[in-house]
Amino acid sequence: MIEKALVVARKEILENLKSARYWGIVAIFILFYLAAASYAGFAVRGFAGMATFTRAAFELGNQAVTTFQYVAPILGIALGFSAIAAEREKGTIRLVLSRPIFRDDFINGKVIAAVCLITLALGVSTAVSLPLAVIVQGINLTGEDLVRLLLLLLPATLLALVYYAMALFVSVLSSRSGQALVISLVVWIFFTFILPIVASLIAFQVLGPPPAFTGRPNATTPGVPGQEPSPVAQYRTQLNQITSSVQFFSPNARFSSVANAIFARQRTSAGSFAYVSIADALSRGWLDLTILAAYTAVFIALSYVVFLRRQEVR
Amino acid sequence: MVELAIEVENLVKVYRDRSGEVRALDGVSFRVPKGVLHGLFGPNGSGKTTLISILVGLQLPTSGSARVLGFDSVRESLEIRKRVGLLPENYGFYEYMSARENLEYLGRLDGIPPSKLKERINEVLELVGLREWADAKVKSFSRGMTQRLALAQALLKDPELLLLDEPTLGLDPQGSAEFKKLMEQLVREGRTILVSTHLLHELGHVCTHAALIWRGRVVAQGSLGELSIKYREARGYTYELAVAEGVEELLSELRSIAGVSYVALENDKIRVRASRDISEELTAVTGKYRVRYLAPLTPTWDELYRFYYGGGEE
Repeated sequence: MIEKALVVARKEILENLKSARYWGIVAIFILFYLAAASYAGFAVRGFAGMATFTRAAFELGNQAVTTFQYVAPILGIALGFSAIAAEREKGTIRLVLSRPIFRDDFINGKVIAAVCLITLALGVSTAVSLPLAVIVQGINLTGEDLVRLLLLLLPATLLALVYYAMALFVSVLSSRSGQALVISLVVWIFFTFILPIVASLIAFQVLGPPPAFTGRPNATTPGVPGQEPSPVAQYRTQLNQITSSVQFFSPNARFSSVANAIFARQRTSAGSFAYVSIADALSRGWLDLTILAAYTAVFIALSYVVFLRRQEVR
Repeated sequence: MVELAIEVENLVKVYRDRSGEVRALDGVSFRVPKGVLHGLFGPNGSGKTTLISILVGLQLPTSGSARVLGFDSVRESLEIRKRVGLLPENYGFYEYMSARENLEYLGRLDGIPPSKLKERINEVLELVGLREWADAKVKSFSRGMTQRLALAQALLKDPELLLLDEPTLGLDPQGSAEFKKLMEQLVREGRTILVSTHLLHELGHVCTHAALIWRGRVVAQGSLGELSIKYREARGYTYELAVAEGVEELLSELRSIAGVSYVALENDKIRVRASRDISEELTAVTGKYRVRYLAPLTPTWDELYRFYYGGGEE
């Protein structure tokens, strides 16, 4: 019966491709990306000496991570919150479910469409933004930079799918799409803004006030053996460990972690910085990718269970 | 033996929520013969929508069973939905899609082969009088047009049985009259229709059979003739006749028939009410006169409705 799921998916995709909401989010993506590119270009050119230890392409990678971290969840929520609740609200679900279709085909179709639409949105945004970044900002992208920026699409897609799956679950539970949207946004705000603050507060409570700055160099540069970390650097490391632990199950934190792995750099023998190998990056980020995929799977499974049990008409 | 389109046995549906329990259906049993326009009459909240939802598998019964076209509504609901067209109450269309696009989507979910779908869509749009509006967006449709489109979607799969839940609700008198004509035409073509309504004056006269439902129970069911028997036993038999001459003599002869309780001339017609069936005596008495018209009066569905909901008491 996969053909029925594909019928649902086809209709969802066509409906979204005709919608201003979908292309509005793609436009926001592109704007964010271009703003990120501008920042990267200005930052490297504008601060004296910055170009000696970084490149605009590295900064572009960092900014792309931030862009995806904010906009990918919004894309997922935009596709998910109305997936079931709006059908219920409008009454279209009654016409659909009175056909010879299994309920899981209906939800499968929605998920298939979401995967396609998220991939398309992220792909189009990147395909439009990167050439513009090169042309307008003059950012010199090497093949290696391009591979990393494209590789970032994998965790970004997963991050969007996590939020899609969460919003879908809320949508399955809700009778009103407005309610589903509000709950989904609250979840996003919690993971994006509140949890990092809570994590920092917990870390400060655990570690106490930071040590006084002694003027010693911030000696945590990787690849420099024999250098003793300063108390400030040690404090910062512990702070990071605690905040990371508190946020371990945050999808945003997992995305940041895998993105950091993709853009991780190490000092070369010539003294410059270069990316770690892709195999190395993936081996550092596999757990994060797995957690993101698991999140998606769990929320889609929960959506299935609730949707299959819920009776639509009373 | 009469072939049955629907057979419902002791159906119970209980909704439970935080506020308690609602018994929407409380042991409903009734049968719908094939090839008839069968009414399901009852006030709002009497359980009509719940019953129809269970028949197509949109809801599960708490207990009891329902067979539709020979298929069990729980175990074989997919087979039912292949053969039954449903016009639900409170349905909706995808408003930013045209009538044709909506029907294409629903037709694909019905499993109609793409090669036949276009032709079938044209047929049903023609049948409901929406052919020239096929490519207009549904959001521009009036209530009457939307209702006709709803009937079109129910007819798409060329169903053996149509379940219409409050189909004339919100229609203007002309739209309602057209709708009734269409229903009669569909029954003449060999289809069975179960139509639920609380507006007996709207649909009562087109139905040949009905089940009267009240607070989740069927209080009476059968053909108009069958349901009239109990009514007549309780309220008496009423006849109407007209003669060309000798009215006064006839009136006095009629009054002398045993069991006659009322004889009067009303608008050039003589109305006779008796506590028993006096058809034979009437024929004998009126034989001497030039009778233009003689007929027993059948109670209307409205009268039956009020009679049965009043517990069959005078």
